[in-house]
Order: sequence, then structure tokens, then C-alpha cells
Amino acid sequence: MILGTCLSFQDVLDSIILSIFAITVKFGKDSDWPCIRMSLWLNMEGLGDVNDANARCLSARFPQLWSQWQLLDSILPTGGFAHSFGLEAAMQAHLVTTTDDLETYVIHVLENAGSLLLPFICAITASPDAQTWRRLDRLLNAMLTNEVSRKASTAQGSALMRVAASVFSEIPCLKTMRGEALSSGEFYFHHAPVFGLVCGLLGFDAETTQRAYMFVTMRDIMSAATRLNLVGPLGAAVLQHQVASVAESLSTKWMNRGVDEACQTCPLLDTVQGCHNYLFSRLFCS
Amino acid sequence: MERGRLIVEKVEGRSTLTRCFSKYPMKFIVPKKVGSSQTDVVWIYTITYGGGIVSGDSIAFDVTVADTCIAVLTTQSSTKVYKSIAAKCSQQLLEASIGRDALLVVIPDPVTCFSTARYSQTQNFTLATDSSLLLVDWITSGRHERGEKWAFSYYKSTNRILLQDGEPVFLDTTLIEQATHGTISDRMKDYQALAMIVLLGPKLQQIQKQTEEDVKKIMSQQFHFPSNSSSKPNMKPNFIASCSRFGPKGMGVVVRVASMTTEAIYSFLQHQLASMEELLGAPPYH
Repeated sequence: MILGTCLSFQDVLDSIILSIFAITVKFGKDSDWPCIRMSLWLNMEGLGDVNDANARCLSARFPQLWSQWQLLDSILPTGGFAHSFGLEAAMQAHLVTTTDDLETYVIHVLENAGSLLLPFICAITASPDAQTWRRLDRLLNAMLTNEVSRKASTAQGSALMRVAASVFSEIPCLKTMRGEALSSGEFYFHHAPVFGLVCGLLGFDAETTQRAYMFVTMRDIMSAATRLNLVGPLGAAVLQHQVASVAESLSTKWMNRGVDEACQTCPLLDTVQGCHNYLFSRLFCS
Repeated sequence: MERGRLIVEKVEGRSTLTRCFSKYPMKFIVPKKVGSSQTDVVWIYTITYGGGIVSGDSIAFDVTVADTCIAVLTTQSSTKVYKSIAAKCSQQLLEASIGRDALLVVIPDPVTCFSTARYSQTQNFTLATDSSLLLVDWITSGRHERGEKWAFSYYKSTNRILLQDGEPVFLDTTLIEQATHGTISDRMKDYQALAMIVLLGPKLQQIQKQTEEDVKKIMSQQFHFPSNSSSKPNMKPNFIASCSRFGPKGMGVVVRVASMTTEAIYSFLQHQLASMEELLGAPPYH
């Protein structure tokens, strides 16, 4: 009665729902679009209750979140705990002695990871196929001129690929790609491209993946700092949260660039990390 | 735009400069005799008019070292990059192709960027079978006696080594710029000079091995005998160096150095490259 005699209550409800969907389409992520289209179709065909369709649509996104959390959890057995990102060498060279030094160190490592590795993640998440993976893997191998970080990258990447192929069995091409890569002998399994490949195949968008990579880097350095007794577990957690805003701005600064722009921004770090094999006693591989 | 050009090829069995064309502001000086008449090598000094690179200068030249020839590219003094005017960036580009069994030696003095300078250099090297390359690429913090320590705005150095089919063997881009999170000076701690030395190819195999051993010895001493707290406070080493193998079959060695004085790097280069005198007629950095 409010909107005129021709419109029924159902029509009013429909137009409100459609407006909400329209707003969601405008501001929502790309991955939501198929769900919204399906809901619109269901609604217009009168084949389902709108609320049900909405709930089904949202529920389709949740498995992806669980995969995402599992991938970023340090309990995933990818061997990340064996690497200190040059922190152990930096400590033995007295470049890092206090928690302030550690905070600066983490920021420098993140900046370097951003400038050197995010372009690779961006490129492969956009096209997670074998050909792109091979090209980027070989390119990164030529760019990781520091032997210590190059070997660390290969070790972590191989482990991640093995784990992902077993865990995410709903994506059989992970297993086949891994098998073909191993038999060809032409792949180095560098960490950043593998990370991007797995995320890309799991359906994560490029920005989330790049941010996630920065997160796992930060996570691993903090873990190494704790085991090197530079900071306690609670102190590390506090520091990690403090650095998060810097990590975010570094992620935004370096994301979505081409691989031809990849560069290293902390040559001192590179030099010190390269000294890892000269250490007399060491806890970590790199 | 025409670029500078240098061609070294065999004429009557001796390495000879058959083409020498330079474009302002660059000039080439070619001494007629370096070393004894037994040595078969061409030395080329690159000079800039005015003694430095002025804001906005763009310098580009190509070098061809034909099969079995030996050529040396060096400078008379450090390359000064003057302050940037209107945010202009100065550029230098070198494209070199090294023939079979040939050797190119690039042994400049360091680049010194003055306060607010903006500078970008790119050096591309294409190798043939059994080519050898000795490349030194280094930078100081500026006119540190005047108190200008890492006061420049932007420095980018790209070095690419490719095989004839275009496959990359070594790709390195180092970008040092004043950033939002800490100044360059913070990132460099107290180190005033950084260097990268690339040794690649059959003619440099002995120096590669010697350098790896020497660096391991120097750095192991640093790490095996850390100063204990009772005698003196834990101090950063004045000189840090690390060696890495790279490329197919570990064909190349890259040494990265960070030093608190420029002199220490000159000393290191003098010592490590002394045995090149036999091939080059004069020892580098004497």
C-alpha cells in the first residue's frame, strides 16, 4: 500500500534484496560474483528462498578461509623453522643485539622480501600454470645470487610443494605439476613462486597472496628471534603486532609490480646473510 | 640516439681497439702501452668531462670483445655523481658482448653520489662459450669527510649476465633510496662502502678458488673468536665479506663486501686481484 497498489509485498522485498546485491557487486571481491549471480538467478526463477541462497553463497567462501589459515599457520610442516633470514649471522656479527635492533632488522628483511619477491608472487598468482611457474622459478634462481638464501628458498619451496600436493587433494594438478617438475629436473622449487602457485590454485587473489607472503616471512623471523633468545615468546608476539602496520605499508608499496622491477634494497643484509656458512656454531640453516 | 662504441678484436694476432667512439659527456683514453710487450691486452679508461656525472646526464656505450681478446675498462678516479636538479636522474648504460675464450675486466673506482644525487646504472654482459668476466661494482657513502654519509636520494645498479641464447645466469639489481622507514644511513649502520665482485669463466678459475678460501679465512676468524664482554664491548666487524657460487655448474663466484672504510676495500681488491697482472700487464687497483 505504501508503494502503490500494483506492487505486492514480495515485489518490494525482491527490489530491496536486488539493491543489496547490487551494492555487494559494486564493493565485493571478484570471487563473490559467481555466488551473487547464482543467488540472483535463484531469486528471479523463484526456485529458492533468498535467505537460503545467500547463506549457501557465503558458506562457499568459508572452506577457502580454512585453507588460507592452514597455509599461514606455522604448524604446517614446511621446515620454515630451520631458517633465520640472516638473523643468526647478524647477531654473531653484533649487528643485532637489542630488541630495537631486531625491530629494525625485521623491517629491513620485509622491505627486501617485498622488493625482490612480491613481483614473483604477483605474476604467478595471476596465472598459476606450469609454464609460468617454470619461467619465474628459473628467473628467480638467477636473481638469488646469495647462495645461502638461494638454498634456503629451494629447501622451503620443495617442502611447501610436497605438503600442498598431499594436503590440498581437491586440486589434483598440484600433485601432477610437482611430479612433472621433479622428473624434468629443470625446476628449482623456489619458495616464492611455489607459494604463489599454491595460493593461486586455491583461488586466492593476488593481493591477499602477496600480503600473506609478507606475513609468513615476518612470522618466521620472529620465531627465529625467539629461538635465538633475542626476545621471549611474549615479547616476540608484541613486537610482531607493532611491526604489522609497517609490514602492511611495505606490502602495499611493493605489491603488484612486474618481475623486471624486482630488486634488492638491503645490500648489507645480503652480505651478512652470505656469511652464514662461516659461523662456527649455528642453530639454523640460513 | 647514437651511442659510444668500443670494439676490441684481433689484428695480426694481437688484441687491438679497432673502434673507439665516445659521446659527450663521456671520453675514452687508451694508453698505448700497459705492461710488457708480451701481454696481449687493451686498457681503456672512461672519463667524464667535468670529472663527474651531472644531474640528468645520460651516458650509453657498447663494448665488443672479440674471440680470444682481453680488454680492461677502468676509470681514473671515483665516479662522482653531482646533486640532482629538479629531481632528474642521471643514467649510465653499458652493453657488452664477450666472445669465445675472451676476457673482459671491468675495474672502476667506486661511484660516489653527492647529497641528493639520483643515479641509475645498468650493465648487461652477453657471454659466449668459455667467456670470462671480472666485474667490480662498488659505491661509497658519499663525501664522508664532508659529513655526507649516505645523503644521496636514489641509487640503482643493475647487472645482468646472460648466455648467448638470452638465458640469464646472474641478475642483480640493487636499489638504495631514502625510504619512509628509516634513512639509508640507518640501513647501512656504520658501513661506508659496499662492493660486489663477480668472477666468472675459465680464465678466472684460480682466482675464484683463492678468493673463496681467503674470504672464508678472514670471516671465520671474525666469527670464531668473538670478543668477550670482559675485554671490550661486542663490536661490529670493520669489514664483512661473503662469497657465493652462482650459475650452471657453479661457473661464477660473487663476493659481496661491506666496509667501514673505502681503503679496506681497495686493499682487498689489490690483494685478491694481484695475480691478474700476468694477464693484464698491470695489477688492478695498485
